[in-house]
Amino acid sequence: MRHLILFILIQTCTTFGYSQNVLIKNGTVITVTKGTLATTDVLVTNGKIARVDKNISAPLNTKVIDATGLYVMPGIIDAHSHIALDVVNEATSPVTAEVNVGDGLDPLDINIYRALAGGVTTSHAMHGSANAIGGQCETIKHRYGTTNPDELRMEGAPRTIKFALGENPIRVHGEGRKITPGSRMGVEQVFRDAFAEAKVYMKDWDDYKSGIRKSSPMYNLRMETIADILRGNILIHCHSYRADEILMLMQVCKDYDIKKICFQHVNEGFKVAPELAAFGASASVFADWWAYKFEVYYSTAYNATILTRNGVVTSINSDSEELIRHLYHEAAKTQRYGDLSDDEALSLITINPAKQLGIDNRVGSIEVGKDADIAIFKNHPLSIYTVPQMTFVDGVMRFDIKADAPDMRVDIDPSEKFASFYETDKILEGDRCMHGLTELLLGESYSKYLRFKYLKNHSH
Amino acid sequence: MKFRIMQIIIGLWCLVSSVSAQNSDAPKQLSRTYLLTNCFVVKQPGTILPKQNVLIKDGFIMDVAPSIKAPFDAQIIKADSMYVYAGFIDGHSNTGIAKPENKERGDRGNAEQINIPTLEQSGVYTHRNSLETFKSSDKSVSEMRSIGVTVSQVAPRDGMLPGQSAIFLLGEGANDKLLLRNNSVQNATLDPARGTFPSTSIGVIAKFREVYKNANIAGSHEEKYKANAIGLSRPDFSKELIAFYPFTAKKQAINVMATQTKDVHKFLSLQDELGFNMNIANVKQGWHYIDKIKAKNIGVFLSLELPEEEKEKKDSTIVKKDTLSVTKDTSKMETGGKVQAEPKKLATIEEKDNVDFDTKRIAAYNDYVNQAAKFEKAGIPFAFSFHTVKPGDVKKNLQRMIKSGLSENAALAALTTNPAKLLGISSQVGTVEKGKIANIVITSKPYFDEKSIIKYVFVDGKKYDYNTSNISKSGDNKRDEKSSLVNGVWSFSVSIAGEIQTGTLTITGSSDKLSVVTKTDKGNNEDTGFDIKLEGKNLLFAITVEMEEPTKVLFDLNFDKDSYSGKIDLGSMGIFPISGSKVSDPKTSLE
Repeated sequence: MRHLILFILIQTCTTFGYSQNVLIKNGTVITVTKGTLATTDVLVTNGKIARVDKNISAPLNTKVIDATGLYVMPGIIDAHSHIALDVVNEATSPVTAEVNVGDGLDPLDINIYRALAGGVTTSHAMHGSANAIGGQCETIKHRYGTTNPDELRMEGAPRTIKFALGENPIRVHGEGRKITPGSRMGVEQVFRDAFAEAKVYMKDWDDYKSGIRKSSPMYNLRMETIADILRGNILIHCHSYRADEILMLMQVCKDYDIKKICFQHVNEGFKVAPELAAFGASASVFADWWAYKFEVYYSTAYNATILTRNGVVTSINSDSEELIRHLYHEAAKTQRYGDLSDDEALSLITINPAKQLGIDNRVGSIEVGKDADIAIFKNHPLSIYTVPQMTFVDGVMRFDIKADAPDMRVDIDPSEKFASFYETDKILEGDRCMHGLTELLLGESYSKYLRFKYLKNHSH
Repeated sequence: MKFRIMQIIIGLWCLVSSVSAQNSDAPKQLSRTYLLTNCFVVKQPGTILPKQNVLIKDGFIMDVAPSIKAPFDAQIIKADSMYVYAGFIDGHSNTGIAKPENKERGDRGNAEQINIPTLEQSGVYTHRNSLETFKSSDKSVSEMRSIGVTVSQVAPRDGMLPGQSAIFLLGEGANDKLLLRNNSVQNATLDPARGTFPSTSIGVIAKFREVYKNANIAGSHEEKYKANAIGLSRPDFSKELIAFYPFTAKKQAINVMATQTKDVHKFLSLQDELGFNMNIANVKQGWHYIDKIKAKNIGVFLSLELPEEEKEKKDSTIVKKDTLSVTKDTSKMETGGKVQAEPKKLATIEEKDNVDFDTKRIAAYNDYVNQAAKFEKAGIPFAFSFHTVKPGDVKKNLQRMIKSGLSENAALAALTTNPAKLLGISSQVGTVEKGKIANIVITSKPYFDEKSIIKYVFVDGKKYDYNTSNISKSGDNKRDEKSSLVNGVWSFSVSIAGEIQTGTLTITGSSDKLSVVTKTDKGNNEDTGFDIKLEGKNLLFAITVEMEEPTKVLFDLNFDKDSYSGKIDLGSMGIFPISGSKVSDPKTSLE
């Protein structure tokens, strides 16, 4: 028994070891930004892409991976997910800007590993959509294998915050708590009030610091955070469906001189694509999912294509620990609906979400100097027959379809009786936008639940 | 979540036990002078002095020496070959604090919703302290005393910032007479408020940051105002912020509830950010951060609670069978049987998974039990938190830690000298030395010896007698005729609201010192009976069920030779029939 444990420990150490130098040989390298290169090598040193070229000879102490006949692409990026989080929604107020999901990262979440098994190396772990101004989000790298939540954080990624329009905040606060917002007009007012209050708060502190005011104002973390949005230090990612409310929020942003915003879901984005492009807003959509509640009744699978063709930086996201495992299929749907090119389709899950998160200088394409976040596929990643083979984050192999153990959990409760970790309440409930609010939101959650259940029953 | 009655019974039987149901806990004090003669004195961990006499007078240890003449008023306790230890110190628990009534618990949808909460509604009670709410008459105090704990640092209950701890002697009487130190530390948890902000752990962390900064603003403004009020607005700060200021000004530390690895991380990160003085408490899974804890010199109170003991390897096959029977159809169960016979052939992925899982689960179990040894090896002088451990499990769990590599000296230090230092009461308690408060534990053999029992406990010079020579754990129970009828392991089956619940009753001891342990089959919940009364063939006892508030469940059983029948009284929920038969006699039940 001891030997077995020791063996597993050694194995674990090699799998989750520190970044080593890697040479991926003879693959078809899909750089996304600089074309597709046949029979090309990618050299990784110190977690970065050092060279992309033909016939690179392996330097000393370099692990060589034969990718002959395989496809090498940048790690997939999901601009909207809720994996690796202890908490998704702090739904007790229409404005909870002070809350940060980064304070509750969960490196033990098996869904991180499952995302890696779908080639996803970076995701945007978001607060839920219960509040008009929700909590701050965290851009994470899927460094699965660690127990330390800090190691998931993508150092240097810009701060982001979740906003939400429409039915969710109305249902939670208007219907649930009998306070504003009780309508779409109310949602707008929540934003305007919050920004106006933050301006007063900023002035109070400026006056105190400049000596005009003698007593210190009280510290308000909520207002501090909104002040940082007004200062342009935090990117807004807004849950949205209808065209009218998308226009509304762009107007509010104009009034308060806020420039950085990405609309999430944005199912009616195709109706206002030129306006989004003119504002400089970006859009993160589902490939072909709508009609799960009234406000999202009207959409089209051509949404991503129309947005792209209008010059909107567009991505396809998962919002789901199940969809995150096959974002490459989701991207491929834009070739059926809209006939996007390979690079355009793959941009939707690589460089474009990177731009939306402000991390495109680091990830999202295979370029020298970028982080070595790489996914290797058998068959072209946009083919229905594609199968992810290996996934690297910062040059460290975090997923290997051939070598990984069947049970890849990092932490096991010793009192757990069964090995069947596939069926847990957590999975059934789903880590979605409205996580933890099923009683308030039967409409959306239940339809999502049914969809999930369907997928689950048909994937086993 | 809806609780069915059955779930209440099987799931949440309150885990309260006592060493023996009926110790004579309340001594009559004729004289407060005692002389212990001819004993081994464990002055401090690693220092054992043989053939000592110990003189206790007026609440102090007056002398420790090989020969002390007995004063005229001394009660002499012949402690030949017994071991004398410093009374144990609990670094962190809610001992003596009654559980609050949870008005809002239950249907979540009906919880009162507060849109703009006050600090108090958010769970900020920094102004409270345990001196107000501690009750030495609470059952938990005598339970702790009976296992040798003489001092507790008592934290208030409830909220994200429950208030300030007080350090009490676990004797009897008025709080001010038992108090060693008031407002010793602040406390923090990640517990959310109900129906209002913060309702999640990340909300709690955000609120903590805000309260911290505002306490600093409030405190420093008040100081400025006192120094020179001219031109300054009058301080109008809440009691919660003012009470938090000594902590934010780094004049007071905080004990944080950091049970699992992620809790430890959350508080270490907050501490990095804000730089306050912190001890981590109730730590069950802290080994991932040992280096950081050591580097930052953070005080540690490890939990004395451990995962349920691993039955020897033989039940890995049982686990396998269970798994298959739960997750797969019956044809697979037969495969399970085959695996038992030919363990090398792993026919299906499920079976291979189970073997991998077992290996990982055992490794995880070992991590928990080894924790204390790891902290010792790292040179961190930790103490213990008695927060959630059942008093009856304390010694057993210490022995498990020792088996996993913790030294006996480190274990004893964690019960005595280390907490004394961490609590800042080393000059008063923690060792058996002249001039210290007479907090003493006297055991029949070295404390960590499996067969040792506690004979006496002194708190503040007051003697508590646990000299139970007629029940020994070595198996030679003198059972009188009356109790022999009920002694043994019995099955039980009770039908509540149409659902059958089964389990066992284990009854041991003589008729005047009976002990009853109930154990459910489903969930393996163990409870210890109290108010035990045997009259003829009729056995009465009670256990406490943790529902929305602790509820007493009364058992009334009539025994025949090999079976019994009777009823259980669930108070307002009704009375239900119970019956069962003998599973085994007492001797086999002892192991």
